[in-house]
Amino acid sequence: MEAITMTEERTEENNVAEETEVKALRYSESERYAVFNTEFIPHIDSMYNFAFRLTNDEDDANDLVQDTYMKAFRFINSFQQGTNAKAWLFRILKNSFINDYRKKSKQPAKVDYQEVETTYNSESTDSETTTDLRTETVQDMIGDEVATALNSLPVDFRTVIILCDIEGFTYEEMAKILDIPIGTVRSRLHRARNLLKEKLRSYANTMGYKKAS
Amino acid sequence: MNATKTIEPQKHHCENHEKCMEMIQAVLDGSATEDEMKAFKANMSECLPCIEGHDLQKSIKEALQQKLEKKCCPESTVNKIREKLGIASILLIFAALQVTIFKVILES
Repeated sequence: MEAITMTEERTEENNVAEETEVKALRYSESERYAVFNTEFIPHIDSMYNFAFRLTNDEDDANDLVQDTYMKAFRFINSFQQGTNAKAWLFRILKNSFINDYRKKSKQPAKVDYQEVETTYNSESTDSETTTDLRTETVQDMIGDEVATALNSLPVDFRTVIILCDIEGFTYEEMAKILDIPIGTVRSRLHRARNLLKEKLRSYANTMGYKKAS
Repeated sequence: MNATKTIEPQKHHCENHEKCMEMIQAVLDGSATEDEMKAFKANMSECLPCIEGHDLQKSIKEALQQKLEKKCCPESTVNKIREKLGIASILLIFAALQVTIFKVILES
């Protein structure tokens, strides 16, 4: 069973100070604002989308983005200009979500991967699932239908799909953002996609999309 | 798996489909190793379940990229962040001034 690192609680200092292995930098006041404006602000729409997909709530997404940017500014000396600002910010947001927002929500605190795996393996094989859900069916779906299927996934699985398929992070970047090994990224992504296929297939059947002939 | 190219897939059952799908996903994600790329190229012309799995996974990935609404962060949120940073910097200057004054008092 894979390590459940998404649910670990971490201090703010740990969250941010471990982002880079470089020595803490000393930006002047004007440099801090320059780095903030040129390196961080351009990612704010991606950050908002990530926050919204995690929380499913616009107000919570706004609060989460604000908190993330305030933390990013506070710990700006641990960010090296020219490195991967987007991944750095995503990691802060993900940790803020775990530490501050997930507590407030009624969502389950963690995913029982063993249970998910057992459930999945006890049902039909993957090849049967994929033949049941057709490529054409997915292509015919509208955005809301895809979003509903995505939102129905446990948050840890939803997260890897958002990072990979929507934001286009590499496995290496995802490993850093989520603080897990690359092998775990791969396996979690694979399981997440199997679950998403299952949700899409169920949804397609419910909505009367054509089944495979 | 062999290098011979055939028009019709030869395999209609994949005995290792889960592993193959993990490899196919890594290729689609641009994170496959060299060995996985080689295996992918060799396998994809002959294994029907893998070809179908690849096409389905690709369509799901494209749907996630293209069909989900991309929201813009509200301008009010950006403004609030800037306001908070302004206040924070004023507080910082105020704290620095206090330290300076304290030092001057101690030295006098």
